Amino acid sequence: MAMTKSQRRHAFSAFRYLVLTFWLLIVAFPIFWMVSTSFKPDREWFAWPPVYISENATIQNYLVVWADVSEYGTDAEGELETYTQSLQRPWEALGNSALISVISTTLTVLFGSVLAYGVSRYGILSEGRMFQLLMLRMVPPIVLIAPISIWYSALGLLDSITGLVMLYFLTTLPYAVWMSKSFIDEVPREMEQAAEILGASRMRTIWEVVLPLVRSGLVATFLFILILTWSEYLLALLLSKTEVVTLPVELSKYQGSTEGRVYGRQAALSVGITLPLIVVGLIIRKHLARGFSFGMVRR
Amino acid sequence: MSRIELVNLRKEYGSVVAVNSMDLTIEDGEFIVFVGPSGCGKTTTLRMIAGFEDPTAGDIRIDGEVVNEKEPGDRDLGMVFQSHALFPHKNVADNIAFGLRMKKVPQDEQARKVQEVSELVRITHLLGKMPAQCSGGESQRIALARTLVTEPSNFLLDEPLSSLDAKLRRELRAECDRLHDELQKTFVYVTHDQEEAMTLADRIVVMNQGKIVQMGSPMEIYGDPVSYFVADFFGNPAMNLIEGEFVAGTNGLEFHSSQFNIPLPAKYSSTAPGKGSLGIRPENVTIGATGGGASINSEIELVEPLGKDTLLYFGTDADRPFVAVIEGTEEVQRHAKVDVGFPDDAIFLFDANGDRIR
Repeated sequence: MAMTKSQRRHAFSAFRYLVLTFWLLIVAFPIFWMVSTSFKPDREWFAWPPVYISENATIQNYLVVWADVSEYGTDAEGELETYTQSLQRPWEALGNSALISVISTTLTVLFGSVLAYGVSRYGILSEGRMFQLLMLRMVPPIVLIAPISIWYSALGLLDSITGLVMLYFLTTLPYAVWMSKSFIDEVPREMEQAAEILGASRMRTIWEVVLPLVRSGLVATFLFILILTWSEYLLALLLSKTEVVTLPVELSKYQGSTEGRVYGRQAALSVGITLPLIVVGLIIRKHLARGFSFGMVRR
Repeated sequence: MSRIELVNLRKEYGSVVAVNSMDLTIEDGEFIVFVGPSGCGKTTTLRMIAGFEDPTAGDIRIDGEVVNEKEPGDRDLGMVFQSHALFPHKNVADNIAFGLRMKKVPQDEQARKVQEVSELVRITHLLGKMPAQCSGGESQRIALARTLVTEPSNFLLDEPLSSLDAKLRRELRAECDRLHDELQKTFVYVTHDQEEAMTLADRIVVMNQGKIVQMGSPMEIYGDPVSYFVADFFGNPAMNLIEGEFVAGTNGLEFHSSQFNIPLPAKYSSTAPGKGSLGIRPENVTIGATGGGASINSEIELVEPLGKDTLLYFGTDADRPFVAVIEGTEEVQRHAKVDVGFPDDAIFLFDANGDRIR
C-alpha cells in the first residue's frame, strides 16, 4: 500500500533517528567503557564475560594515578606490586600539556586568523599557496622526525616546552588559516566598507565589525586545534620523553614490559585527560553551536 | 558647496577596461543617476569616488581637491550599499550612531541626532531592535539613517533598492526623492533600472562598456536617444526597434524589413542607403487612420489589456514583436486588421553601428 506524504515523512524521520541512535552508540561506547573501566577493581579489567558496570566500583585507580597512593586496597592482587610508581608524574604531565597546548593554540589561532584575514581580504596567498599550506599536513609527521630531531638537538630544543610549542604551532597553522578564513569570508566586504566610509580606521573596523562576527568561529577553531594539540602523541613521544612529558606520553607509560597492562589506571588517567576538554567545550558551547554552524551573518 | 569632478578617470582590471577615460562634473545638490547594464562600469565609477577602488589613471576631485590619495572616511561622503551592510551584532540605534562615535561626537549629541534622523526616515520604532529583526525595507531605511546622521555633503547610493520587491522599491524611491528635496545635497545613484533613473534623476548618465554613452535630463534621454543602445534601454514597454535596410525608392528613402516596408519622412532623403534599424515608441504608434506619416495594414496577433492602457502585439513570430499602446480598453479584436501608423516625428533611425541618423 502506498504511503501518504505525511506517512512517508514520519517514516523517514523514524529511520533518521534510528541511524543517529546507532551512530551515537558507536561513538559513545568507548567513552562509556573508559569511564566504566576507571572504576573497576583490577580483577574485573580482563573479566569474561565483560563487566559493564562494576558492582565493586572503587576510586582506587584514581587514587593510585592522581594521588600517588601506592598501596592497594584490601582486595588487591599481589601481582601488581612490581608496578613502579616512580616513573609516573601525571600532575606534571597535566601542567606541561596545559601549558604547551594553550600557548601553541593561542599563537596558532592568533597568527592563523591574521594570515587568513590577509588571504581573504588582500589575497596575500594565492589559491595554490593555500593548498601548499594544507599540503604541510599531508606529510606523515614520522618522516619529519629525523631531520627535526637533528635540528632540535643542535638548537637545544629537545625535551623542551619551547620545542614542542614551536612544532605544534607550525603543524596546526594550516588548519587555523583554513578554518578562520572560512569564517572571515562570511563577513561581507561591504560591511567593512560601510564602517570605513563612516570614518572607522582599518584597525577599528577589524575590532568593531569583523572580530565580533568571527569570534564564534575563532573560538571553534581554537577548540579544534586545542584538541589536536592536547592529544598529540607521536611528536611529543619522540622529541621529549624524559624531561617534558605530556599527557598522551604519560598515558603510554601505563602499558609496557615493566608495568604490565594496567587498564584501570590507564582509564583513570584517560578520564583526567578527557575532562578538561569537556569542561572547555561546555564553557564555550554557546560559541561552538554558532561557530560550527557557520553563517551567523545574514546577507 | 560640493562638487565632484571626474577627470579622465580610468580603471583597468588586468586587460579588462572597466571604466574608460571618463570625464564628468557633478554639480552641488544634483541628483545624478548612473545607469547601464551590469558590467558597464557604473558601480566601479561609484566605488572609485568612494575610495574603495584606486583609479588606474585620472583624478577624482571633490571641491576642487584631488582626493585619489584620501581614505574613504575622509572624503565627506556617505554611502548606502546594495546589501544594506548593517552591522548585525549592533542594534539599530548603535548602527546609526556608529559614524558619530567614529567622529567622537559627544554622547548626548549622538542620542539627539540619532533620534532626529530616525524621525526623518520614520524608523524610531526600530531603534531598540537588532538588524536581523527588521525587514528588507526597514533595513534600507536604517542604512539611509546611518549615512544621513553624519551629514556628508555627498551621498553615494549603490543600487540601494535592487534587493527589494517592486512595491517597496517604489515606496523607497519616493523616499529617496523626498530626502534629496529636503537635504539639497548631492546624490550619486547607481542603478540598472531605467525606471528608477527616469523618476529620480536630475541628470542621467547612461553608461555602456566603460564609457558614457549619453548624458542629460530624463526627458532628453527618453525623447532624443543618441543611439540604438540608449533607445532600447529606456522606456517600458521598450521601443520597437526593427532591423532592416534603407533603400532608395521612387519617392525618397524607404525602410525595408522582413515585417514591412514603409517610406521614410522627407528629412531623411539625403541619408545613404544601407543596413540599419528603425525605432518607434509603442505609445507613438497610431492605430487606425489618424495623423500623417506612413502606415501599414497589419493583423493584431495578441491583445494585452493593462487596465488604463492596452498593448497590441503585431508580428509575434519575429525576434521581437512590434508593440503598440492604446489608451483605454476599447474593443479591439484579436486577428483584426488595422492600419498601424508611423507619425513622421516619432520615427528614430539608427545606422548599422547603432548610431542615430538625424
